[in-house]
Amino acid sequence: MSERSDSTTQNLSKVSLPQAGGERLKLSRQTPSIEVDRLSLYYGDSLALKSISLVIPEKRVTAFIGPSGCGKSTLLRCFNRMNDLIDTCRIEGEIRLDGQNIYDPTVDVAELRRKVGMVFQKPNPFPKSIYENVAYGLRIQGVKDRRVLDEVVEKSLRRAALWDEVKDRLDANAFSLSGGQQQRLVIARAIAIEPEVILLDEPASALDPISTAKIEELIFELKEEYTICIVTHNMQQAARVSDFTAYLYLGELIEYDDTVTIFTNPKQQATEDYITGRYG
Amino acid sequence: MNDTASSVASSGAAPGALPDGDARRKLRRWRAVKDYFARYSVGTFGVSVIIALGLIFVYLFSEVAPMLRPASMSVENRFPAPGGIDTETSYVTVNRHLELAVRYTTDRRVVFFLPESGEVTHEVDLPLPADAEVTAFTFAEPRTEIVAYGLSDGRALVARHEYNERFSPTGRQYRPAVFYPVADGDDPLTVVDAAGRSIAAIGLQRGAGGVSIAAALDDGTLRLVRFEERTSFMTGEVTVRRIVHDLPGLPQGAQATRILLDITGAHMLVGDDRGFLHYFDIRRPERASLVHSKRVIRGQDAEVTALDYLLGTVAIIVGGSDGSVVQFMLVRDDDNVNQITFIREFRSHAAPVTKIKPEYIRKGFATADERGVVQIHYSTSNRTVARERVGDSPLPVIGFAARANALIAVDDSEQFTYASVRNPHPEVSVGALWGPVWYEGRSQPEFVWQSSSATDEFEPKFSMVPLTLGTVKAAFYAMLFAMPLAILGAIYSAYFMSPKMRGLVKPSIEVMEALPTVILGFLAGLWLAPFVEGHLPAVFSILLLMPLFMIVTAYVWTTALAPLVRRLVPPGWEGAILIPVVLVTGWFCVSLSPFIELWFFNGDMRQWLTDVGITYDQRNALVVGMAMGFAVIPTIYSITEDAVFNVPKHLTQGSLALGATPWQTVTKVVLLTASPGIFSAIMIGFGRAVGETMIVLMATGNSPVMNFNIFEGMRTLSANIAVEIGETAVGGTHYRILFLAALVLFVLTFVLNTAAELVRDRLRKRYSSL
Repeated sequence: MSERSDSTTQNLSKVSLPQAGGERLKLSRQTPSIEVDRLSLYYGDSLALKSISLVIPEKRVTAFIGPSGCGKSTLLRCFNRMNDLIDTCRIEGEIRLDGQNIYDPTVDVAELRRKVGMVFQKPNPFPKSIYENVAYGLRIQGVKDRRVLDEVVEKSLRRAALWDEVKDRLDANAFSLSGGQQQRLVIARAIAIEPEVILLDEPASALDPISTAKIEELIFELKEEYTICIVTHNMQQAARVSDFTAYLYLGELIEYDDTVTIFTNPKQQATEDYITGRYG
Repeated sequence: MNDTASSVASSGAAPGALPDGDARRKLRRWRAVKDYFARYSVGTFGVSVIIALGLIFVYLFSEVAPMLRPASMSVENRFPAPGGIDTETSYVTVNRHLELAVRYTTDRRVVFFLPESGEVTHEVDLPLPADAEVTAFTFAEPRTEIVAYGLSDGRALVARHEYNERFSPTGRQYRPAVFYPVADGDDPLTVVDAAGRSIAAIGLQRGAGGVSIAAALDDGTLRLVRFEERTSFMTGEVTVRRIVHDLPGLPQGAQATRILLDITGAHMLVGDDRGFLHYFDIRRPERASLVHSKRVIRGQDAEVTALDYLLGTVAIIVGGSDGSVVQFMLVRDDDNVNQITFIREFRSHAAPVTKIKPEYIRKGFATADERGVVQIHYSTSNRTVARERVGDSPLPVIGFAARANALIAVDDSEQFTYASVRNPHPEVSVGALWGPVWYEGRSQPEFVWQSSSATDEFEPKFSMVPLTLGTVKAAFYAMLFAMPLAILGAIYSAYFMSPKMRGLVKPSIEVMEALPTVILGFLAGLWLAPFVEGHLPAVFSILLLMPLFMIVTAYVWTTALAPLVRRLVPPGWEGAILIPVVLVTGWFCVSLSPFIELWFFNGDMRQWLTDVGITYDQRNALVVGMAMGFAVIPTIYSITEDAVFNVPKHLTQGSLALGATPWQTVTKVVLLTASPGIFSAIMIGFGRAVGETMIVLMATGNSPVMNFNIFEGMRTLSANIAVEIGETAVGGTHYRILFLAALVLFVLTFVLNTAAELVRDRLRKRYSSL
């Protein structure tokens, strides 16, 4: 385990260093993308999220950390209403995307999910070719023009830093890719439909250190255009890639601030315990 | 890692937690025994299943294999003609036990002898007048065992031999005798021509109405003498009435050489010396007419050298001086007039054919030629099953034993050759089973399954084509009914239904599978078939209105109804809304049915269909499709449901997270991933429909028809076996053909399932997810 952390750190030193040493970002100065307003979530009778309020800034990386079962994935899934798929799940409070409550009955869930893309813990390419995987979202949106598709597929794969590896075998089955490549393919698939927000649910936890490094590099590049929310168990990863970090514990938002503050000078004892490894 | 290390350390520190070394060793040994036992018992049982399957195949094949063995003919003995070689043999035959043979000679004797050795046991002198010469000889169908001599004084003698077997403790004993069936009082002879003209050719037949003699007199006159038998229904006494008719003559210059009469008394065929066959219609002898003449031999110089009817007197076999053996039949043309028609040709002889001898109880026959070769042929299967050279000299006479298991050939120096024949299954050939066959009495080659009939002279028709087609037809309509319902239902319940409702629906449908098919067949045959017949418009209006009303309901539900009302039904329970819709639509269509019939079909749709020219059977493919569809729905539904339900959630979530609607996710991701499972569901359902027996047995009518009309029945391979295996003779051709049908079914389902498995495997490899 220690070996893996070492190599990751080494690989990422050039990415993470300027940020760690740079000036602190002020949360209050950011343009809000997602506003969470007293959000409570129940699974049946049990309360999974307890009146959470936070603002996710635009074109920044926000990390959610916390021990297992603290509700960070659940919170992430609220942003594109993936929790709707769970029958017993019930929501109170509001989440506003660009000022519009996404839980309003008039909201088209499919369109919401187009705007808020998601990448899961396990790479989940469809059993189709690499090309069709990336083109899937566009086809869903009714794009049929082969030229447009070609263009977007290439652009997305380039953005996901996968183009050079797959450009000669776009028709190959997506399962022929390695796990890390598959995860970047899934990211390419998500950015092909021009989302505003990308949710990453432990995107590197199933990957080897080199693949993890590539994903992290990619996140760093993507934040120039997209608002990114990432859930991670890996504290170093959160420290490396994120601008802001929220610490959740047992469904409550314990602390939320810029990453440098959270990792160097947390205001809460619980946060510090978790970060320093005294807990978890 | 720290955790594990510490736990190991702690377990070492607290030895009480684990049993001591001895106990653990014992446990390890016991575990090894259990492992060993499990491995080998699982292996044994698994292999046993495969062996059992193999044995089924071997057994089926062993019952079929004897049909593939070629026939054989082997010479047993040769001896000079019993009763003397200084006279010619007219006719020879052997009884059914191969214990006594009989020889008719031209010097007016009937000699009974032992076929194995040629030893004479009895001799009878025929009461032929010494002052008249024998000028013609003929025999009726072999099974009648009657022959006729034509004399130079215009009289004829009809004789019948009887073996008269008696049973004694030492075995069978024979007291053979000769009778004269058409004796005129005390005189065994019968007068054909009172003017005393010589008989040049004679024909003889015994039919249902009695014996008939036809004769060609030396001046070319054709004369028919009928002995009409009438049984008094009060006393049982038989009275014979003798009627003589003069028939129209042959065309100028033709000389009759052979006269054939059929057993119905309707047809007479006369062969002449110029290779022509003349057909006379003698249904009403007083108005008899020459209907058709045809040259039945090819080549200018060739002559007809042998001519005879096969059993049943329908098929005519012509042997020529060119060695050809050709079959003709009377076939009705477009004007309903019988014409002599070429049917098929058999393997030719190298020398002129001398004699054609039909079998007693089958459609087989033997031919002999001038170079001592005997061939055995079979009409229906168009096969020449055996060929044997019994000598080098011409064979003017051959005779079959009654069961066609032995044969006597007589050469021109009156040497007898006795040969045993093993020819149990001549009816079978690839052409007879799978090709069109021109059966007796048909106007063209056809595919017919008709294995038995009431008469002895019936030609068994063993075409597997109608049965195979019937099997495919039944399975096709069943799949047409079951596939959309089962697959769409499975997709809905696996993907859209709430878990609770799914928990109700899935087991209920799967329990349907436990319903005995005999009950389904019973309901289909006795309730559904008459109901469908009476409510035909309902069937079609349901087909049309049911989906329409469902869509309308869905539309109203999703758009027109206020969200408040919609909340009354929790998500995933929407399917339940359709239950009243289905019931009401069904009721509506059924009650509307009589009115539709009144408005559009003159009050009766079934009659209307018949008037339009569509055959309608009450037990038809529509009923079978529904009943058998009902039987295969659980199979298809269950496997498809599992396949769709087991599509990994991360794939569907991935699709939904990309902004796809649930429907887009189903069509573009779920179905693709579940396709191997759905495919195998369809194939297994199809396999089940192909092998299904009870439903098709009870609801199809079992008529082996050859069409895809949804309103007609069919007979399937499986139902055919179930219907007929009980009434076959064990070891007979029919019995073995039923086993062949079973083998075909077995191989069909085996190939189908194997192909399905291969395709599924490929699909699974292609669409397998992590």
